[in-house]
Amino acid sequence: MININYRDRRPIFEQVKDGFRNLIISGVLKEGERMPSVRDLASQLAINPNTIQRAYRELEIDGYICTVPGKGSFVSQRDEAAEKRRAELRAKMSEIARELRHAGIGEEELITLIRKEYDHD
Amino acid sequence: MIETRKLCKSFDGFRALSELDVKVPKGAVYGLVGPNGAGKTTLIRHLAGIYIPDSGEVLIDGQPVYENTEVKSRIAYIPDDIFYYTQATVTDMKNFYKGLYPAFDEERFKKLGEIFGMEETRPVRKLSKGMQKQAAFRIAISCRPDVILLDEPVDGLDPVMRRNVWGILMSDVAENGTTVLVSSHNLRELEDVCDHVGIMEKGSMLIERSLDELQNNIVKLQLVLPDGTELPEGLEILGRSSTGKLEQIIVRGKAEEVEERIAQISPVYCESIPLNLEEIFIYELGGTGYEVRNIIV
Repeated sequence: MININYRDRRPIFEQVKDGFRNLIISGVLKEGERMPSVRDLASQLAINPNTIQRAYRELEIDGYICTVPGKGSFVSQRDEAAEKRRAELRAKMSEIARELRHAGIGEEELITLIRKEYDHD
Repeated sequence: MIETRKLCKSFDGFRALSELDVKVPKGAVYGLVGPNGAGKTTLIRHLAGIYIPDSGEVLIDGQPVYENTEVKSRIAYIPDDIFYYTQATVTDMKNFYKGLYPAFDEERFKKLGEIFGMEETRPVRKLSKGMQKQAAFRIAISCRPDVILLDEPVDGLDPVMRRNVWGILMSDVAENGTTVLVSSHNLRELEDVCDHVGIMEKGSMLIERSLDELQNNIVKLQLVLPDGTELPEGLEILGRSSTGKLEQIIVRGKAEEVEERIAQISPVYCESIPLNLEEIFIYELGGTGYEVRNIIV
């Protein structure tokens, strides 16, 4: 369910973290669902267990999962995590918009671009 | 924990290891890298208890390894050139090692047979190189060692088998805290599995760090400087090249700190890119005079 891409410049722990974050946000991994054990994932992906531990630790700090000692990690309630992600994406959007403005893309054009995305659904 | 202190070894006057200090924490996967002839195999042979140190110490969990049966029965070593007795089959070799390793797990050996599909009735020496390596892994993993020493381990294994082998080893690390020391030139692969890296050069340790620290301590920047500006003073630059206005520099230091310093000269464009292990290897060794040269023959 998580893919490690060797051409990706991101460190492996970040790839694992981002991968799970997307699965949680998109609802593939549901609230309360158990995360794969570090051991299983290490063996399945053939990567260092400490790397996975680190990714899990950061996911926990960011509120996506919670760890019950002796039982494993579980997906935590989504609202909070999703809200945090939305804020992150909004900030990213502003950054991109700013860059586009510098690149000489007009307001109208940008709005058209965004509208196109929304019309798809 | 694996440790050597001021380990020295000479062969016929050639100093293969000089005052080598190595520290591998328990449960770490330690990648040992270095140019050809740096002394990697010599070090591993000391750790396996094959060589007697000229001076210095070789300790596993605080105990000297040489002629120490108790310690050695917890170490599995897969050398680059694996030894099998003439005519011995996989089963014969298994029984041989079973006699030497008290923790040998027969169940596990049987189970691993499903992954390593090898002929058990033919002499191992008649099998292909890759198959011989598989047999070694199967036996070594069945010994349930606390320490696994691997010298160029996946040489000769096909991609599927590599993944299988690493998968099993990683699960052992997660579950039992097995310590793995692996020498390899396949830095791409080491990057996935290792959490510690030691770069050896001419018989001593050049750098020994956790992979995180190593990757956070060197950064590649692509930047365009405003006309007439120079880079700020005091940056430790390991490499610099340019294509037209775009400069590429390799700087020692944390990405955020370096970026901050560069920001002071307000560059036209600046982007930092993390380095992979192969690049770190090349740039760190470049400082010692061992470098990639543009050679046209």
